[in-house]
Amino acid sequence: MTQPFHLDEQIASVKDKGFLSFRTGELPTWCPGCGYFGITDAIYKACLELGLKNEEICAVSGIGCAGRFPVFMNVYGFHTLHGRSVPVASGVKLAREDLTVFAVAGDGDALGIGGGHLPHVARRNIDITLFLFDNSIYGLTKGQSSATTLYGQKTSSHPSGNPDTPVNPVKLALAYGASFVARGFAGDPEGLKHIVKAAIVHKGFSFVHITSPCVTFDKSNFTWNNLKENHSPIDTGLHDPGNMESAMRMAEHERFKIGIIFKDEKRLSYHDNLRQMALKPK
Amino acid sequence: MSRLDLVVEICGSAGEGTISAGEILSRFMSEEGYDIMSFDSYPAEIRGFGKCVAHTRISRGGVLTPGKFADVLIALNDIHSIGQLSVLKEKGVLIYDNKPARYHLEDQSVVGWLEPGMTPYGIPLTELSIKASGNARARNMVALGAFSALFGIDRDAFTESIRRRYGKKQQAVIDSNVNSFLEGYAWTLENVRKMDSFRFDGMSAEVKRDQLIINGNEATAMGALAAGLHLYAGYPITPATKIMEIMSKELPKRGGIFLQTEDEISSIAHVIGAGFAGERAMTGTSGPGFCLMSEFTGLAVMAEVPAVIVDSQRGGPSTGMPTKHEQSDLNIALYGGSGDSPRVVIAPTCVEECYQAAVLALYIAEKYQTLVILLLDFFLSNSIKNMDPPTAPETKYLNAHIVPDAEALSDYKRFRITENGISPRTIPGTEGGMFFATGLEHDERGKPVYDTVSHTRMTEKRFRKHKGIATEIPAPEVSGYEGDADIGVVAWGSSAGAAREAVEYANEKGIKAACFSSLFISPFPESELKLFSKRCRKILVPEMNYSGQFANMIARYLERPMERLNLVTGLPMASEDILKKIEEIEYL
Ligand SMILES: Cc1ncc(C[n+]2csc(CCOP(=O)(O)OP(=O)(O)O)c2C)c(N)n1
Ligand code: SF4
Repeated sequence: MTQPFHLDEQIASVKDKGFLSFRTGELPTWCPGCGYFGITDAIYKACLELGLKNEEICAVSGIGCAGRFPVFMNVYGFHTLHGRSVPVASGVKLAREDLTVFAVAGDGDALGIGGGHLPHVARRNIDITLFLFDNSIYGLTKGQSSATTLYGQKTSSHPSGNPDTPVNPVKLALAYGASFVARGFAGDPEGLKHIVKAAIVHKGFSFVHITSPCVTFDKSNFTWNNLKENHSPIDTGLHDPGNMESAMRMAEHERFKIGIIFKDEKRLSYHDNLRQMALKPK
Repeated sequence: MSRLDLVVEICGSAGEGTISAGEILSRFMSEEGYDIMSFDSYPAEIRGFGKCVAHTRISRGGVLTPGKFADVLIALNDIHSIGQLSVLKEKGVLIYDNKPARYHLEDQSVVGWLEPGMTPYGIPLTELSIKASGNARARNMVALGAFSALFGIDRDAFTESIRRRYGKKQQAVIDSNVNSFLEGYAWTLENVRKMDSFRFDGMSAEVKRDQLIINGNEATAMGALAAGLHLYAGYPITPATKIMEIMSKELPKRGGIFLQTEDEISSIAHVIGAGFAGERAMTGTSGPGFCLMSEFTGLAVMAEVPAVIVDSQRGGPSTGMPTKHEQSDLNIALYGGSGDSPRVVIAPTCVEECYQAAVLALYIAEKYQTLVILLLDFFLSNSIKNMDPPTAPETKYLNAHIVPDAEALSDYKRFRITENGISPRTIPGTEGGMFFATGLEHDERGKPVYDTVSHTRMTEKRFRKHKGIATEIPAPEVSGYEGDADIGVVAWGSSAGAAREAVEYANEKGIKAACFSSLFISPFPESELKLFSKRCRKILVPEMNYSGQFANMIARYLERPMERLNLVTGLPMASEDILKKIEEIEYL
């Protein structure tokens, strides 16, 4: 007979010994094979390598499978409302500049119901990191079309094919003026870890688009096979993340390139801006 | 006249200094120890020559309402003032510009429209203004001079007050205003024979220079700042915008954060984010914005995060009447949102109380980790009152966090079931205090669970907080006849002032009337209301909404028939209306 498995004990035994110190005692409720495991793994490791302390991190999520993320990360976690992780995370950061603040959202969450908040967090350049878990489908509600579902793709809300054209998340983020825009892939946790680290370190709003398969409800578009075949790293010799034109071209034509697409390090974050304005004579 | 109680209206076009003349008058009267309340009206359109009315009530006793009718009308603009004559009392006084006929189109001097019994005083406002200041723009000051001469106001004291008011301006501006005032005063004294009976006596008996003259929005903002507000997030909407404007100036000076958000959903999201992060935060809005916040009100209750929302009610539903008064958001404040969601609702009855209400709102939200709704309304937001500078809140109101001790932290349960419903809460940054909060139903550690027992226990815990809050609410205000009364008026929010005044008038007429109101609507002082009800033969509930939202709420405590007065005039409740209703009711 096998020994009963106690996650709490397992974690206690490895606590302070590595990235597992960022795990809570909860077993993830995601479907076996879901891409979200890989993303979570990358975020744990990035936090560990940056030397962040659990209590200094605040992870704010919306509703959806992606929204469950903070249940599994041992930080100050706040699972809010569908579409609202970004403004709540912004509120946390504005109140407490000392905290490292994440917003976690699915594609439906961040680009559909909560899409109206994105331009504003970007133009304010609030120093938070948005992890957009993009599986191009509504996972939690069982497979309806989302803002990133392909045109013509059959989903549970569009059985004869999605009549709407998907948005391009990276292009949107660039157009909205996000000061850090990157793409990662759930199937490449090691590469994603580096992107996550750069995003967290960036002072200002960081937008991290992470493609991830929903193995249960998307059998045709963002499948493991499709994503693996299509994804390739950005050729850093050919692309300069400081160049907006090049970033825009890449956003338009290279939907599966992974790496840092755009980065404006000179732009002041919201708090820095406030401090600078306070110094100016009235 | 037993006590001086005078309503003065100055009526003119936008840009004629109408509102500023009203301000100067009320400030001076307040300095002289009178109680004042102003409720001005502006044209709905922002530009142009729309009608402005500066309305001020001046009294020796406490002023509870601005008064529905005017004793004195000062007409700076004839055409606008003709319409305004309808609010002048039967024996009212008119001060008007007796400029030569060539200035008027036919029939358009206001004096031509006066009713018999009213007293007109024609003063050459334009001429004297030109004489004193070189242009016609100081007619407002000439009129104040005439007003002072007619009603026995101390000339020198008023001049000093004007100087103080314009103190920071150029000398030429000060001189032009003061000279015009003096010109009006001297001319009137010499040329006008007093024919009415109004008179201010005992001027300068008790000089009060440090009085605040503020509206309900300002008092609310002051209270919130005094209570240590750290973040304010808002989206412009009448009649709450002023709170946002104050915060945008004041918070940065105090190291706080002001944010103009993209919509009201984002405003309340930021407030809840800041509350989660352990800082005091607030937003302000009106009905349409409050509707957008509904989903978040539930989150504040469920995830036990402090949040304060100010809703300054206006005429509704939908976009409704943005610049009109109503008390019709009580239902959404009490019952809006999904699920069983207990919330605290505070409704100040006057400007002074707005300050205290804001302090209590932030304190209770923090201590009980929950949602507090502060219900103002168009009238409270815009009516101006003089008041003594409030004393700073006691320290107990400034830090109300209940944090877990070391023992509790060793096996931390963020949502521990407790007797008083409060679970000690860690603030992000606290080592070993990490937790997960969610709008899903959860167990004591925050883990989402949907079982019957957990949901029942957690629902009970959230409601239990209200027992503790009920012990902290101020006692209800009870006034009027103290024994067994014929009529008990139960009022709420800004209508309570009119109710108290109506009861005073009724008592003077020999009617055994009493009045009851409470700053807190939820939790509500139910047993006190029951006691009050027991000694009243009849109960009357006056409120500015059609469906009787408050009457419906207290009906479940009183279980007796009630008289109702429901008005949707868009105007503040007037004591005259309540008094009329009291007199109409049959008492046998
Ligand atoms: C206001 C509101 N509307 C609808 C829902 C139901 N709902 C929950 S999650 C979700 C979509 C989730 O999709 P996505 O954001 O892409 O996240 P995923 O589950 O794919 O990770 C919906 C529609 C809700 N919770 N709240
Ligand atoms: S439904 Fe899809 S997105 Fe949700 S956990 Fe399962 S595989 Fe992942």
